[in-house]
Amino acid sequence: MRFENRAPEETVNYADEHPLKEFALLVVGVLGAVALGAALLGFFAGELAGRVPFATEREYAASLTERFEQAKLTPAQRDARDALRALAAKLAAAMPLPPDIAVSVHYADEPTVNAMATLGGNLVFYRGLLHKLESEEAVAMVLAHEIAHVRLRHPAAAMGRGVAVGLVLSAVSVGAGRSLGGDAVQRAAVLPLLKYSRDQERDADELALGALVRVYGHAGGATDAFTVLSQAAKGEAGRVAILQTHPLTGERIGLLQAAARQNGWPVDGMRTPLPPALRSAAAGK
Amino acid sequence: MSNPFDEKSTGLTISNLEILPGKRVKSHLGVVQGSTVRAKHAGKDILAGLKNIVGGELKGYTELLQEAREEATERMVQQAKSVGANAILNVRYTTTSITMGAAEILAYGTAVILE
Amino acid sequence: MSWVDYLDWIVFLTLLAVGYFAGRAAESRHFASIRKREKELAKVLAFATKYPPAAHLPQQVRLVSGSAVVGSDYFKQFVASLRTLIGGRMKSYESLLDRARREAILRMKEEARRHGYRLVVNVKIESSNITGGNRGGLPAVEAFAYGTALKPVAPAEPDRAV
Repeated sequence: MRFENRAPEETVNYADEHPLKEFALLVVGVLGAVALGAALLGFFAGELAGRVPFATEREYAASLTERFEQAKLTPAQRDARDALRALAAKLAAAMPLPPDIAVSVHYADEPTVNAMATLGGNLVFYRGLLHKLESEEAVAMVLAHEIAHVRLRHPAAAMGRGVAVGLVLSAVSVGAGRSLGGDAVQRAAVLPLLKYSRDQERDADELALGALVRVYGHAGGATDAFTVLSQAAKGEAGRVAILQTHPLTGERIGLLQAAARQNGWPVDGMRTPLPPALRSAAAGK
Repeated sequence: MSNPFDEKSTGLTISNLEILPGKRVKSHLGVVQGSTVRAKHAGKDILAGLKNIVGGELKGYTELLQEAREEATERMVQQAKSVGANAILNVRYTTTSITMGAAEILAYGTAVILE
Repeated sequence: MSWVDYLDWIVFLTLLAVGYFAGRAAESRHFASIRKREKELAKVLAFATKYPPAAHLPQQVRLVSGSAVVGSDYFKQFVASLRTLIGGRMKSYESLLDRARREAILRMKEEARRHGYRLVVNVKIESSNITGGNRGGLPAVEAFAYGTALKPVAPAEPDRAV
């Protein structure tokens, strides 16, 4: 009987292939499938939510804006709010807004440089943004943009998408847990949602521009508003476009100018000074 | 702790064979066991966490488990001595993780008296 | 400063790159060292069989063992973590286990040689996850090898052990 130790074949128990191969396959396969799934799911959920009657959405949203409705406004702030409401009504008529959809404008005496549209046609305009805008056209562009979101039922669609993708993600994360792969899946699923969000912004910009031109005869205020918003975000140099909820300002202004030229609208024109009620509110009086 | 594997220091032969070549078992004295439960060291864990970025051997853990096995063996040897054995045969080791970050090391075997 | 917004991406991609390059370098170094020592220790024979050669001759015995805990790198963890979502062969951890097992056997043989043995029989290998599952624990595997080292009692002819 012979006893010896022969060296067996080495790469039987582990794969003798480049590790980047499996990495690439998994990233493209798993994360790609997750992104595609989230895109499809988001699409259908968004479509479905957009079909919910506006009245139902408004009922549901009643509690969301309580904070702004119950806020005690000074007479000057009330005047500013009323001026914004009058401007919004003019723009809504120019959009035009279908009869079953209505907007309610709220004024928030807070330093945030922003404005937003939420469920139920509720718009919130912050003092911080008003403070930075110098013409009625610029204020009108911001309002028109938010009204356009309401007109296109964007808040409902965004919520539908968020809820649908969020539900599926949380089901997946029960399996994956808080692991590196689970985090990567989350990131991959958010990308299509961001894409939808940017598309919404572009659509709202385009619709708002039409209303703005119909009211003022030129597109001059549009770019002013975005320049202010971009400065509030402290510049956008070095930002990665696909990770943003909004398109980059340069792109938005370019698209607006192109749309104006295509329709034969004057890109620039005389600015109307802010109405006194807005001017004094913006100054913080 | 003297080395439990050293026959000279313990006076006890340990083997995972059932029959030792050229030796006869005079009497079988039953199963003896030694076990120890160890939790991982917080400091070592932080180091290991850093090491887990670049990969490679976690020496702190290797040593920790080695010490734990020595201790389990030492306890098994104590049991064997208490029943008057001079050898433990068919020794087996098992590792069970009890909760996250704690493991039981168990050594067991048959205590015997060799001629 | 907009790069702060991407800090989590920067950290993730950096760790992935560091894990990939450092882990790959460590792995090929480890495999090279394993191959080298396997050649050096080729004279210490190990068998998983229970019955030693010349079973009738009285032998000196000693339980010898070796163990190694090998941790995964960040790149392998990421790949493995994605792999668990769809299942299949977890290639990135296979080499880890192979390294741990071969290292454990080598250490067992080294211990045998240190005490003057050239034969280990009834070798058992066990692999375990010392961190209790992959949830929040460190991804590391342990391999433990043990066996009975034998040499003839007659000290005059140590080379005839086999």
